[in-house]
Amino acid sequence: MSIILHVDFNSFFASVEQQANPFLRGKPIAITGKRGIKDMKRSIVATASIEAKRLGVKTPMPVMEAKRICPELILLPGDMRKYSEITDRMLRVLRENSDKIEQFSTDEAFADITSIAQDYFGATIIAQIIRNQIAQACGELCSVSIGVGPSKTIAKLASGETKPNGLTIVQPSEVISYLDKKPLEDVCGIGRATIKHLESIGISSFQTLRMASMKKLVHEFKPITGMWLYNIARGIEHDGVNDSQEDPKSIGHSYTFAHDLEFDAEIKTNLLSIADTVALRLRKMKFKAGHISLLVRYNDFSSNHIGIKLTNSVNDGLSIYKYASQLLNKVRDINKPIRLLGISTSQFSNLEKPVSLFLKDQKMQSALCAQDCILEKFGNRALCRAATISSVFQERASGWHYDHQL
Amino acid sequence: MHQYLNDPIDVSVDFTNQRVRPHTVCWDNQMYKIKKVNLVHNTNEDGQHIFYFSVSDDANFMKLRLNTQNLEWRLVELYTD
Ligand SMILES: [Mg+2]
Repeated sequence: MSIILHVDFNSFFASVEQQANPFLRGKPIAITGKRGIKDMKRSIVATASIEAKRLGVKTPMPVMEAKRICPELILLPGDMRKYSEITDRMLRVLRENSDKIEQFSTDEAFADITSIAQDYFGATIIAQIIRNQIAQACGELCSVSIGVGPSKTIAKLASGETKPNGLTIVQPSEVISYLDKKPLEDVCGIGRATIKHLESIGISSFQTLRMASMKKLVHEFKPITGMWLYNIARGIEHDGVNDSQEDPKSIGHSYTFAHDLEFDAEIKTNLLSIADTVALRLRKMKFKAGHISLLVRYNDFSSNHIGIKLTNSVNDGLSIYKYASQLLNKVRDINKPIRLLGISTSQFSNLEKPVSLFLKDQKMQSALCAQDCILEKFGNRALCRAATISSVFQERASGWHYDHQL
Repeated sequence: MHQYLNDPIDVSVDFTNQRVRPHTVCWDNQMYKIKKVNLVHNTNEDGQHIFYFSVSDDANFMKLRLNTQNLEWRLVELYTD
């Protein structure tokens, strides 16, 4: 049986800021998505320090609301390059002390320590070594909570047990009683919709979930989720630590603008910038996309989402922009200013040598190749379209990756 | 107060154990003796290798930027209580 360890930084971005700047230690601070006082106020709290959380600041929460709850809150714009280096140092420590690692977000990762630890006594020692080495590599303020268990779900649940600085070990024999003390929604993968559905069929705890037959769960939730729920209630999980990063199912980019967009020209410019970012990401993964979808959110928080299946798959910004632009024209409510635009691509085919017979397409492919070489060598801002020169996006972290590491 | 700047500065450093440790910063005609180096990180900006030093004395936090290409130092952040 596997022994899995889960590491989770406590109040990650805020802790890194407190590590860098001692005058922020012990104070309520919040990292926002935006730079500049005006933009920061419009933004949301991405991370709050432990001190801010104690005063009632939650994440995510609009900055305005957080300031009302906690007027002394210190706002800081995120510094993604600083955080990404700390993420890398944590991953390096994990890699040195385990067989396999899997990054789960910017501040979380799993490690398979089965063969290194041998048993749960060994796992306790490895966990402490990892904690000390992370503190040494990242700084004392960048503390982590660690959970150890026989599966990823249990390890993640356990790391959330004590914060900050916790170490919780759940041995295989304790799994069922441990789960039974937890509400269903604490388990990663059981979302609000699933909870509602479970409640509607009389399931509100792991005990009652275990009483449901596999047949019933499969009938209610379709085979994959039904089986997963059936197994998870019994502490069974087949998904191990996936070291090689799996091919993503979709690649996209979205952006909340510093001010709401009203004019066609600025909407087009920003959409083109987003399309270029998505295209660059596609080419780095050596993909072409066969499906494009567009998300537009207005200043009243209503939104439209629309997609299109392509006959020829694409990986250049201009083509993606053209499709996205068509979609936008179809759904856009021109009476409402736009707060956010996002493009997502999916249905990938692997990028091989250019097969197009048309000279124009071949030329486009070699131009893209040259462009990618320049960006690789001189950075992502070395080259951009004249049309997009005015749309500068601020670097952020979204999900697994940091924008600047694209 | 937290300020974001981009001011050229003079920095004297120690080289020990193949590491650079800034120990004095001269900014705006004033000398600041660095007490602590709290965090060092490096990054690639437009093809240039940049080091950032988050340092402090008893009253100030400073973020220093070293461009390894032209060895230029700048003060990019200043925080005083
Ligand atoms: Mg965390």
